[in-house]
Amino acid sequence: MANILIVDDSSTMRKIISRSLRQAGLPVDEVFEAGDGIEGLSVIASGKSIDLILSDINMPNMDGLEFVKVVRGNGNNTPIVMITTEGGEEIIQQALDSGASDSIKKPFTPEQLQEKLGGLI
Amino acid sequence: MSLNADISASKGFSEEELAKYIIDSTQAVFSTMVMMDATGDYPLKEPINRFHCSITGMVGFAGTYSGVISVHCPVELAKKITSAMLGMECDEVNDDLNDAIGEIANMLGGGVKQVLSKGGLDVKLSTPTVISGEDYTVTSLSDLDCVVIPFKIEDDKFLVGLTLKKED
Repeated sequence: MANILIVDDSSTMRKIISRSLRQAGLPVDEVFEAGDGIEGLSVIASGKSIDLILSDINMPNMDGLEFVKVVRGNGNNTPIVMITTEGGEEIIQQALDSGASDSIKKPFTPEQLQEKLGGLI
Repeated sequence: MSLNADISASKGFSEEELAKYIIDSTQAVFSTMVMMDATGDYPLKEPINRFHCSITGMVGFAGTYSGVISVHCPVELAKKITSAMLGMECDEVNDDLNDAIGEIANMLGGGVKQVLSKGGLDVKLSTPTVISGEDYTVTSLSDLDCVVIPFKIEDDKFLVGLTLKKED
């Protein structure tokens, strides 16, 4: 069973993602939530065991691209998948170049989560 | 209301094609994230910019194109949408309801951005802004560059509007 950190400035989207993970039949144990990259870094720094990070890109304070860079800069290799409305090739490539493992476009279905995340947890 | 001719020319699509794309994007958002079927009813019969007991979610574009995509929704429908998205009852205008409508605007903004910018770096999206009230007016300073699409969910109605300008 996997512990998952969801970083998204929308509390509604965090709930939808959390529910969809379970609907997809993924082996989810605890779900931690953060409202932006800075909060996400705080959750990681608190020492919680996290197996997968799902992060939005377009967020206030610290966006998802910066968040990925800082996490990787800290030597953390936890898989990070961007879940975002941003579907452009260049911006997704930026995320991958920064260290993201993959990306999922909003809106999404539980089946798409299963397809993208099934091999990571 | 019509789409700016510069935008039609630069992107190679007509107002009707953009309207169809917005309808398809809106239906995808509602069917996957809200679990409701929204039916597009383009074109809008007459302009609407005054709203009663409603909530409006907006996301701005900046860069090669500038503008705003907006979702205008009666509060009673917004409560149903929020309840469906959260999987729990929402019976008042609160942070959950504002967040849900803002996130719908955000997803629609992402969809439109994908049409305007294949790479994604030349157009930036703002974070959502939400307003609500008993009686308010939303006025674009460039009404002629606006596409507004009415939608129905069973007996409830809402609007999705897009104002766009191509920057020089």
